[in-house]
Amino acid sequence: MHKVAEVEVQHDIMVANRKLARKNQRILDKDRVFSVDVVGAIGSGKTSLIEAIIDAVDYKIGVIAGDVISKYDAGRFEKHDVPVVGLNTGKECHLDAHLVEHALHDMPLKDIDVLFIENVGNLICPVDFDLGSHMRMVVISVTEGDDTVEKHPLIFQDADLVVINKVDLAEAVGADDDKMVSDVNQLNPEVQVIKTSLKTGTGFEDVIGAINAFINDN
Amino acid sequence: MHELSMAQAIVDTVLDAAEKNNATEVVEVTIEVGMLTMLNPEQLKFLLDVIVEDTLLENAEIIIEDVSVEIKCHGCEFTGLANTDGSDHYLTIVLCPECGERNVEILTGKECNVKTIKIEKSDEDA
Ligand SMILES: Nc1nc2c(ncn2[C@@H]2O[C@H](COP(=O)(O)OP(=O)(O)OP(=O)(O)O)[C@@H](O)[C@H]2O)c(=O)[nH]1
Ligand SMILES: [Zn+2]
Ligand SMILES: [Zn+2]
Ligand SMILES: [Zn+2]
Ligand SMILES: [Zn+2]
Repeated sequence: MHKVAEVEVQHDIMVANRKLARKNQRILDKDRVFSVDVVGAIGSGKTSLIEAIIDAVDYKIGVIAGDVISKYDAGRFEKHDVPVVGLNTGKECHLDAHLVEHALHDMPLKDIDVLFIENVGNLICPVDFDLGSHMRMVVISVTEGDDTVEKHPLIFQDADLVVINKVDLAEAVGADDDKMVSDVNQLNPEVQVIKTSLKTGTGFEDVIGAINAFINDN
Repeated sequence: MHELSMAQAIVDTVLDAAEKNNATEVVEVTIEVGMLTMLNPEQLKFLLDVIVEDTLLENAEIIIEDVSVEIKCHGCEFTGLANTDGSDHYLTIVLCPECGERNVEILTGKECNVKTIKIEKSDEDA
């Protein structure tokens, strides 16, 4: 004889990730490391921006670089003489808190002030997965088209800083970068939006200033 | 394609609950999936059916319940069901149905919750 019973489980997988994310934040806080989750479209300039920041600031930086299969971005950061942990996500389209926790174990947290976590290029999936960072910076560029913000609203709603990169190419690709700024502000009136060109240097100082402001507030 | 890792996390959760309750078999699993998660329920179900093989929930019926989006509008006083453009889950845009504002707080619709399971256990354990 068998008996069927109903069991309340009520375990939210999303909440479970958020709990892990908070654990990551505690690990970072213990060593006074401020962390920035960098998300954005493929090829929008995430790696280039982090590279430029490494070269421009005097605080000590570490980088966790998420790549789908290669360790390509990790190799780029290593050339800048900073601690780097490359994370291969395999088939996955995003980093999650569990993967980041593993990477934190390999990162010399006592020797760094700021940790950048470059997520996999993707405006969709990272939305669901908090990593435990103190700030989330979204990087898109005009070359994805000036309807990018409208098409992926959720990632901008959760952003702390939005960078619209490659404005040097706006005219060439027929993109209206001001429209992209106002689209972001409609979704998230509080967020600071900065137009940049890493090629000409436009806006770059403002990005550094915005990150510094977050670090000082923390 | 994060449905695969979510499916794995769901199976792990179910197995954990089943073992804690001395189940000999899991006959039914009910999962709530919010309409704003970047999860495709069809794909999730397909992957679940594949990875449950040789586990306690091999023959379980998997029920996925959609959770609709409830919002609190920052533009007006509205709190309740949102207008979601359900035509493509990648393009979900949440608007306040009262005033059209896009700056809204999302109250429900982002969950992936293993709600209940139905298990069989032998009489001795009961
Ligand atoms: N014209 C122009 N090119 C840029 C700018 N910023 C970056 N690039 C170029 O865009 C390409 C992609 O930049 P990455 O920094 O690799 O972009 P990413 O977001 O890290 O790319 P993934 O990690 O593959 O998603 C590189 O060839 C950069 O040199 C810019 O402001 N203007
Ligand atoms: Zn990169
Ligand atoms: Zn692990
Ligand atoms: Zn995905
Ligand atoms: Zn409203």
